[in-house]
Amino acid sequence: MRKWIKLLFVMAMVFSLILAGCQSKESSSGGGSKDGVVTLKFMGWEASPLETESVKKGIAKFEEAHPNIKVEYTPVPGDQYASKLLTMMAGDAAPDVFFLGASDYRSFQKRGVLLDLTQYFENELDIDDFIPSSGGIMSIDGSIYGVSSCTVSPVLYYNKDLFDQAGISYPPSNPDEAWTWDEFTKAAAQLTVKDGDKVTQFGTYGFETFANTIVGILENEGSVFNDDFTATTINSPQTKEVLEAILTVKQNGYSPEAKLLEESGMSASQMLQTGKIGMLIEGSWALQQLAQMDFPVGVAALPKFDVASTTGQAHLHSASTNTKHPEEAWEFIKFLSSEEYQTDLISSGLWMPNRTSLYTEEGIEKWFNADVHPEEFKELVPYFQNAAVDPFAINKLNQIDDIMIEELDKFWYDGQPSEDILANIERRVNEEFAK
Amino acid sequence: MKQKLKTLLHKDGPWAFILLLPSILGFFIFVLFPVVASFLLSFTSWDLLTPIKWVGFENYLKLFKDETFIKVLWNTLYFTAVTVPIGIIISLFLAVALNQKIRFIKFYRAAYFLPVISSMVAVAVIWQWIYNPEYGLLNFILSLFGINGPSWLSDTKWAMPAVMITSIWKGLGFNMLIFLAGIQGISESYYEAADIDGATWFKKFIHITVPLLRPTTFFVTVMAIIGSFQVFDAVFLLTQGGPARSTSVLVHYLYQNGFEYFQMGYASAMAYILFFLVLAFTLIQFTLQKRREV
Repeated sequence: MRKWIKLLFVMAMVFSLILAGCQSKESSSGGGSKDGVVTLKFMGWEASPLETESVKKGIAKFEEAHPNIKVEYTPVPGDQYASKLLTMMAGDAAPDVFFLGASDYRSFQKRGVLLDLTQYFENELDIDDFIPSSGGIMSIDGSIYGVSSCTVSPVLYYNKDLFDQAGISYPPSNPDEAWTWDEFTKAAAQLTVKDGDKVTQFGTYGFETFANTIVGILENEGSVFNDDFTATTINSPQTKEVLEAILTVKQNGYSPEAKLLEESGMSASQMLQTGKIGMLIEGSWALQQLAQMDFPVGVAALPKFDVASTTGQAHLHSASTNTKHPEEAWEFIKFLSSEEYQTDLISSGLWMPNRTSLYTEEGIEKWFNADVHPEEFKELVPYFQNAAVDPFAINKLNQIDDIMIEELDKFWYDGQPSEDILANIERRVNEEFAK
Repeated sequence: MKQKLKTLLHKDGPWAFILLLPSILGFFIFVLFPVVASFLLSFTSWDLLTPIKWVGFENYLKLFKDETFIKVLWNTLYFTAVTVPIGIIISLFLAVALNQKIRFIKFYRAAYFLPVISSMVAVAVIWQWIYNPEYGLLNFILSLFGINGPSWLSDTKWAMPAVMITSIWKGLGFNMLIFLAGIQGISESYYEAADIDGATWFKKFIHITVPLLRPTTFFVTVMAIIGSFQVFDAVFLLTQGGPARSTSVLVHYLYQNGFEYFQMGYASAMAYILFFLVLAFTLIQFTLQKRREV
C-alpha cells in the first residue's frame, strides 16, 4: 500500500513539474456595436518603435474618416507572434484584423481561419496594381485572404567613406549594371584591412544569412522548390556554386563569422556605421535605421551570379473568419494597404511600395525622401518592383526552413562539404514533404 | 438541524476542504486536465485550428524515425549527464564551505544565491557577452593562460558546454541552500566524537557529512534531474537551439512542433516520452535509495 502512495506521489510530482501547460480562453472577440459604433480588435507586432507610431497615426486618421469604427490596437513582440495568434484563434479569441507574416499566410489560410476577401478586393482593388511579388504572395489560387502591406528585399549597403579611402568606385545601384561576383570579391578584398594577424576591417558581411543565400541561389538560376512546392530542388550545381563562392569569401578573411557579429553586441548596421565592415547584405528595411546613423550610406543591387535579382515579401493584413464585422474589417484592411498609409513608412526607409503607381516617376516623388534615400537610390527602384516572390512565402511548412538552416549551419560553421549538406537537405526536406 | 450545523462548523475536516478548494480546483483545471488532455492528444493529429483526427500510435512511431527527435533526445541526456553531477558536487562543496564561521558569511551566501532569483533573460544577456569570442571575459581569461578560446556559442562542439556552464552557475545557489540546511541539521556531537578520534577534515566529510546528507542529496538529485530534462529557457535565450541544432533539447523541439509547426499531437507525444523518461529515472532513484536504507 505504501508503495502505491509513493508511486502516486512521484507521479503527481513529475506531472505537475512537466506538464503545467495551460489553456486559457479569453473572452471572444468583436466588440458590441453600441450607438452604431463598431470596435475592431487589431493585432500587430512591434517591428520598430517608428512602425508602431506610424500604425497609431494611421489608426487615428482612419477613425477620423470612419466615425462609426473604433480600432483597438495591440502590438505584441515579434518573436512569438505567430504562436500567439495561433493560440488566440484556438481559444476563439482571435483579433478581427491582424498582421500576418508572408511565410505564415499560407499555413493559416490552409486551416480556414482567414476571411475570404476576394469579393471585397475585386470590387475595389485590382491585383495588377500591385507589383508581381506582392500580388504573387497575396493570391492563393486566384483568391485573396490578406492584402499585402508593402515590400522589402535584400540589398547591398555600403559605407561610402571606406570606398573613398580605398579608392574604389561604388557598387552600381542600377540592377542592369550590377557587379559580377568577381567584381564583388575584388572589392571585398580591397576593403579588408589587417593589423598584423588581426582583421580590423572586413570587406563584407551577410551573404550567409539564410534569406540572402537564397537570393544568391535564385540569381544563379537555381531554385529551392519545384513548381507546386511538394519537393525541394535545392541540390543542384547552381546552389553548390553559390555556397562555395560565399564560403570562399569567408575563408579568405574578407567576411567575419556570422555569429561572431551577433554576439559582439553590435548590430550589423552598427558594424557598417563604425567602419568595421565595408559592405552589408541586409533587408531594405534597415535603411530606416542606417539613414539616422550619420554616415554616408550607399544602397546598391546585390552582386549577380547569372542575373541581377532579389526577392520580395512583406507581411499581409488579414481578417479572422470569426469576425462579427467583416465589412468594417475590410474597410480597415483597405486603408492599411492604401497609398496614403504606406507613404509615411516608405519615406522613413522602412518599407518599399507594393503599388505599381508608386513606381512611376510621379509616384516616386510622393515618397522619395532626400534625408533618407541616398541620391543613387532612384536607380535601384526597379529592383524592388521586379523582385521575385520569396519562395518561403509560398512554402507552407515552417519546419522546412529550420531543416535547411540547421544543415547550412554545418556547412558554414562545421566545415562539412557542400555535397553532403545539399544531399542531406534534399533527403530530409523531401521526407518532411512526404509526411 | 441547527445543532448539526454547529458541530459541522466546529469540525476541522470541512474547513480544511473549503480552504484547500482554491488550490485543489487549480490543480484540477490547470494541471490534471491538461495532463489528461495532452495524453489523449498524443494519439491524434491536431493543429489547434482544424478538427482533431485520431491517429493511434502513429505519433509515437514517427518519433523514433524522426532524426531531429533522436538528436534532441541525445542532447537532453548529454545535458543531464553533465549538469546534474557537476552541479551537485560543486553545490555540496559550496555548502560545506559556507557553513564555516567566517566573516561576511551572510554576504557570501547571498552572493551564491543571487543567480537563482535573477531573471534568466538578464542572465543570458550577460553570459552572451562573457562568451563573446572577441570581447568576452571568458576568452580573455583563457588568453592569459595562452589558450585561444573557441567562439563558444557559434561552435557546434562548444555551444552545448557553454549552455551547461550557464545552467550550472544559475542553479548552484538553490542546491547549495538545501545542502546547507541539511548540513546544519547534522548534530555537532558526531564531529566532536570524530575530533577526539583524530579524524581529518576530509575523513569527517566522507564519513559523517556525506552519509548523513543522503536524504538531502536524494532530494536534490531528483529535482535536478527533473529540472535538467526540462531545460528550455537557457537554450532558448542563449542559442535558440543552434548552431545546427547542437543545443536543441527536447522541450525546445516540443515547443517548435506545437507552436511553430502546427503539430500539437506530435508535440504531446513528445511530452509523454519526456514524462516516462523522467518517471523512469525517478523510480530508479527511489529504488536505489530504498535499497540503501535497508
